[in-house]
Amino acid sequence: MIKGYYYDGKTSDKKEVFLYVNESDKICIKGIDHAPIPFEQIKVSSRIGNTARYIEFPSGEQFETDDNDAIDEIVKRLSENKFHGLAHALESSKRFIIVAVVFVVLFSWGFIQYGVPYFSKEIAEMLPDDASQYLGQGILEAMDESWFKKSELTDVKKDELTKEFQFLLAQLGYDNIKLEFRKSPVIGANAFALPNGTVVFTDELIELSNNNNEIVSIMLHELGHLEHKHSLRATIQKFSLAMFVMVITGDVSTSSSIVTSIPVLLVEAGYSQDMETEADTYALNSMRKLDINPIYFAKIMQKLEASHSEIFAECRQNSKSSLNDCLESAVKRNREQDAKEKSVMHYFSTHPVTQERIERFRAHEK
Amino acid sequence: MQELDSTTDSSFGEKVFEFTGNAKEYFFIWIVNVLLTIVTLGIYSAWAKVRTQQYFYGNTKLDGVTFRYHADPLDILKGRAIAFALFWVYYTSGLFSPVIAGIILLIIMLLVPALIVMSMSFRLRNSSYRNVRFNFEKDFKRAYTIFMVPVLFIGAYIYVISLLQPEKMTPGQEPEKALIGLIMILPLIIMLMFPFWEFLITQFKVAYSKFGDASFAFHASAKDYYKMYLKAFLLPILIALIGIFAAILIPMFAGGGAEPELAAPDSSASSGAADTAATYALFSSAAFGVLFMLFYLWLFAYIQTKRTNLIFSNININGHQLNSELKVAYMMYLYFTNTLAMALTLGLMMPWAKVRTAKYKASVTSLTTMSDLSEFVNIQKQHQSAIGEEIGEMFDMDLGF
Repeated sequence: MIKGYYYDGKTSDKKEVFLYVNESDKICIKGIDHAPIPFEQIKVSSRIGNTARYIEFPSGEQFETDDNDAIDEIVKRLSENKFHGLAHALESSKRFIIVAVVFVVLFSWGFIQYGVPYFSKEIAEMLPDDASQYLGQGILEAMDESWFKKSELTDVKKDELTKEFQFLLAQLGYDNIKLEFRKSPVIGANAFALPNGTVVFTDELIELSNNNNEIVSIMLHELGHLEHKHSLRATIQKFSLAMFVMVITGDVSTSSSIVTSIPVLLVEAGYSQDMETEADTYALNSMRKLDINPIYFAKIMQKLEASHSEIFAECRQNSKSSLNDCLESAVKRNREQDAKEKSVMHYFSTHPVTQERIERFRAHEK
Repeated sequence: MQELDSTTDSSFGEKVFEFTGNAKEYFFIWIVNVLLTIVTLGIYSAWAKVRTQQYFYGNTKLDGVTFRYHADPLDILKGRAIAFALFWVYYTSGLFSPVIAGIILLIIMLLVPALIVMSMSFRLRNSSYRNVRFNFEKDFKRAYTIFMVPVLFIGAYIYVISLLQPEKMTPGQEPEKALIGLIMILPLIIMLMFPFWEFLITQFKVAYSKFGDASFAFHASAKDYYKMYLKAFLLPILIALIGIFAAILIPMFAGGGAEPELAAPDSSASSGAADTAATYALFSSAAFGVLFMLFYLWLFAYIQTKRTNLIFSNININGHQLNSELKVAYMMYLYFTNTLAMALTLGLMMPWAKVRTAKYKASVTSLTTMSDLSEFVNIQKQHQSAIGEEIGEMFDMDLGF
């Protein structure tokens, strides 16, 4: 006899009843007027932890009980469905739980560390090159509207740079790279590789350098991003990571909550660092191929970093000192700071610590 | 056969909610869910969702009787597949053309009122208590009417801004004063309208809900919503004022430590003073960071708590009155410790966090009853698709209450 509540399905009226199986294996209820019913006609809810169990009768009546074990016994004896209770069996097996925890932790780590980067690379390679042509077609227009102004470089300077770049690009076997120059006080010194093969330099970056080889080295870095289809890969990675978090938390809404957003940001920053390193590798190899001293990249990176510092901005605003003087003092200050607060920021920046990248090129100085 | 003494049953009055789940049990269920979801490449996630919901419904008891979740995993799987496809199209189109992605997003936004109705309907029709289903009256027209007002205002605002774009105007032409006025006033109106609008949506969600054939009555007023937001905005202003005073006063008493740094940053003689100033700057920025986090936590907990209390304490079904008495301080404590625990264990403590939150919430919720709750009449159950609910989840909208 299993004690429980009976609801007729018409009203919320609750009756205390007893359920039992009679000699001819039919389900009977004691306490109300209910005809015995063969087991095949009732529906027994799946066991979930120790939550109440429900038995549904053909015309909508329901029996609810806390006595899970008694119900399990009946099901075991009368049900032909082998899968009934399988999920609960797994959920209550300590051995299986340990296996599950180990598997989930290892899988998550492996998937994030290797799986996501690997698959996004494979998918990016699979997509036809034409795809990249359409990719982000509107990006330059959008950036023109919000961040960029017309370049104020002289035509002579632009032609000189373009010619030099095209010559080198031809040597490396590229024929579809377009160069653009833009002024951008908002962004400052920087360069961008758009997926359709356009490389954009800001005037501010050009102004930092006093040797075209420095700009060339930046271009090679950007080419590295293009060569490895980084923007496409980053998008695929972001998407798969978001989906993975959804699967793990089992709940889509948590994928944007603060608990998950910080780890996701950290992981994405890690991916981004890997891509910068990859682009650096490409730049380094190309420079050696073209017989350009890698020290130029180190030099321009040093200046690039300094140009985004507060000291540089203040210096440019307050005093009449030249751009070069300001740069010099900012570079000096940066070095001192780096020495102080080493590597704490390692995990938080999208670029690997700039000094590390610079050292890598210095090591190959000629 | 009605029992004659059922009306004199002693089970009137205050009936409490309780949550009887425990962290260990839910952890086991959760980890198996995750494992099977990974192994089946996401397909099991629909079953996982149902088991999770059933665990939480089944452990939530009112007057010693459980709630029950009925959704069919196959329905959820279908809904998820469609929502996933839509999300994928939206995401990839963003790569190739921001315009197409924008159009898709716009279409989804236009669907929000319908998604709310579908999602509410799916959730409620798949919930039951004492074998009587909850229900939601699907009034799409009313949902769209409510959303019309803010959309009109925001649309007007975007339109006015677009009029003021430099390329739209002939050079030398002064922008109209009226337009500039509109640009200043419209956001203010939208902000001031927000509490009223939230009230309308909540009222819609509650008042169209039913238990059996009994409608939910919603007794909150727009005034309650304005009060809630007013309080949420007054405290930050107060804190900001105190902060400004502190920022002015503390350096003054600290002995003007900032001076030497500006005067002679490089000279070794003043490096001690400069160090003090730097330490002070570091300390005050850290203090500011902590204060900001604390404030953010408070604001989040405050709005969540008050909103929940406001909604549930104003729901009346057939004369039975719901009461919710969440405390802001305790919710802050819960959010903080939950976040900390999950961060430290890389999410493995998530089940523990969910269970203790559910326990607390149930413990402060009760129902003041006028009878033994036996009078509700079930109405014909209808099938409801899960598409609205799953699209809403995929695009991270909060559709329930």
